[in-house]
Amino acid sequence: MTAFRFAAAAGLALTLLAGSAYAEPVTLTWWQMEQPPQRVKRIQELLDQFNKEHPDIQVKQEPQSWGDVYAKAPAAFAAGNGPDLLNSIPDFTTVIKKIGAVVPVDDLVKDLDAKHHFIKATLAPYQYDGHTWAVPAYNMALSMWYRKSMLKEAGLAVPKTWSEWKTAAQKLSGNGKYGIGLPANKQLYTDQTVYSFMVNDGAADIYNDDGSFRFDNPKTVAAYQTYADLQKLSPPDSPSWTWGEAEACFNSKGCGMVLQFTVISSYNAQAEGDAADLGVAAVPHADDEPQSATISYSNGIMITTKDKAKEKAAKVFLSWLLEPEHYGRFLNMEPGLFLPVTEDGAKADSFWNDPVTTKYKTQVETMIENSKAGKLFGFTTGKVFPSIGAISAQNVIAETLQHIVVDGQSAADAVKAGQARMTGIAGK
Amino acid sequence: MKRTVAQSLVLYAGLLVLVLIIGLPFWWVVTGSVKLPQEIIQRMPTMVPHSFTLKHFEKLLQSSDFPVYLVNSIVVALFSMVVTILLALPAAYAFFRMAFPGRDLFYRLILVAYAFPGIVILIPLYGLFARIGLVDSRASLVIVNVALALPFSIWMMRSFLGSVPREIEEAAVIDGAPAPTILLRILMPLIAPGIASVAIFAFISSWTEYLFASVLIVSDARRTIPVGFAGMIGQYQIDWGLLLAGATAATLPVVILFALIGRWFVSGLTEGAVK
Repeated sequence: MTAFRFAAAAGLALTLLAGSAYAEPVTLTWWQMEQPPQRVKRIQELLDQFNKEHPDIQVKQEPQSWGDVYAKAPAAFAAGNGPDLLNSIPDFTTVIKKIGAVVPVDDLVKDLDAKHHFIKATLAPYQYDGHTWAVPAYNMALSMWYRKSMLKEAGLAVPKTWSEWKTAAQKLSGNGKYGIGLPANKQLYTDQTVYSFMVNDGAADIYNDDGSFRFDNPKTVAAYQTYADLQKLSPPDSPSWTWGEAEACFNSKGCGMVLQFTVISSYNAQAEGDAADLGVAAVPHADDEPQSATISYSNGIMITTKDKAKEKAAKVFLSWLLEPEHYGRFLNMEPGLFLPVTEDGAKADSFWNDPVTTKYKTQVETMIENSKAGKLFGFTTGKVFPSIGAISAQNVIAETLQHIVVDGQSAADAVKAGQARMTGIAGK
Repeated sequence: MKRTVAQSLVLYAGLLVLVLIIGLPFWWVVTGSVKLPQEIIQRMPTMVPHSFTLKHFEKLLQSSDFPVYLVNSIVVALFSMVVTILLALPAAYAFFRMAFPGRDLFYRLILVAYAFPGIVILIPLYGLFARIGLVDSRASLVIVNVALALPFSIWMMRSFLGSVPREIEEAAVIDGAPAPTILLRILMPLIAPGIASVAIFAFISSWTEYLFASVLIVSDARRTIPVGFAGMIGQYQIDWGLLLAGATAATLPVVILFALIGRWFVSGLTEGAVK
């Protein structure tokens, strides 16, 4: 009998051992929207390291494009083959939440916040309806870029208010140069630049608490009018610009000032690359406002699997990614563009060790500082209304500017029409 | 009628303007791909490069997945082209020569396929392909590309068949040749320019297709050039040199195809137009 018990116990132990030794690892598919080759490569390096350190979890990336994912992800979830982890920006989260594909990450974010201290502006756009819907991963905030030598030559200080900004743009114009490069395309870049004017005139909120719109107000009209005035000092092709054209205009010294998330890597590779001459400052504010704010996009990662084992594995991976020794390398997949979302990350050696980040340290520090005053349209009041996804996708803010710059409407009429468009979209 | 000198001058000036309008963007793209970045981004473009570098091509081929996208595009476009021809030829012959109920109605009806914008059928098609396990496969793109190219290809091919004198077919019938033999042995050699035209049409349609490829393909390893390339460029920052090198490299297979069968394509277009 003893021999039998021994044999049974040994058999059970062997079975368990064999079971654990040959257990299939949990495989996670991550759709991330950073497709340029150097970013894919850096993410793969991190995944290789994670997968090696965690043989029971295997994460594979499938890079997607922002242009396609709004149609592709809902179709994939509907067909039952969506990813387990999905990168997001706040308005995209509302789209995925609406189809019930996203899992709240309240506990994970609470733990990570206690450990790494999220910058509040990066977390706020994902917290509504009683839950946190994504883990902030990296931040982007619009800043004003200029060349110190050009301002000095023109006898100008760095503009802080709209009046100073107009004066600077006028003085920098001439001899085939343009004082400023502002877009007027019906596209996301223009949404961003216009909103960076609105937040600097106290017109950050486009919704009232009841979901009605407060877009049509004198502050918004003044922001649009100032933008349109400055836009006249931009190159004639600027109404069709996206980010790349504005950046090229700045790097070629064709434009004195531009609003961009960053110009660091292209300035370093395509222009002079003189760190001492590259200036960055907060977007100037209205003369009667006390300080500057900006538009910021906190990019997050959503957990989009209902499988408990996968959900658990996803949390392990996200926690690992935000550890300072890994996190800086993740951010530096595009040095000088992606900003930390945690206080720990902002101090991490792995972030500051990158040669480009080190070279442009003062600029990156200013960008991080600017990002702390970041806001995003539709996500400013703690209440999020589903129509913001469609308003953002249809570029209503940019379209309103086009009515002024291209069609010649008054700012007041265009803003009034803009509010009517938003109301129409929300009513559908 | 002989042209006067003035008429000739106007004609050649007009042709020159047309050549410049069509050719200059290509020239700018190709020469831009070998310029240094500083020269590419100048506000005033230089038509003759002041600098020369191959580093954009090096980056394209060594640091990006462009070669993978190129192979995928070639495979998908070649298969789409071959399948389109294999289906369009007998279908066009049936519409042209065979008598069956509703022939004219069906002949017109197949063009209804173009009445629906791609975006309308994109999501249902994704669901369908997901159910049969075809999402993220090159086969899904071949199926879509063939479906998109086939209706117009049938119309083109039918026009070419109509240009063949009926007496030739009748002679083959008298000799006892069945319909497949007539099609393969008699008509096919005679409408070679038409087949070349359909081949180029199907190849280019597939080569440039973006919408379906962007949604039906999920992994980088199966992306075609338009989709893979769009991602490589980046949203917030553009590597202009990489962009121009990629655009130049992407046109090469089409240029080669035209060099091989372009002569037939032109004559094929003329045949179809006259008919």
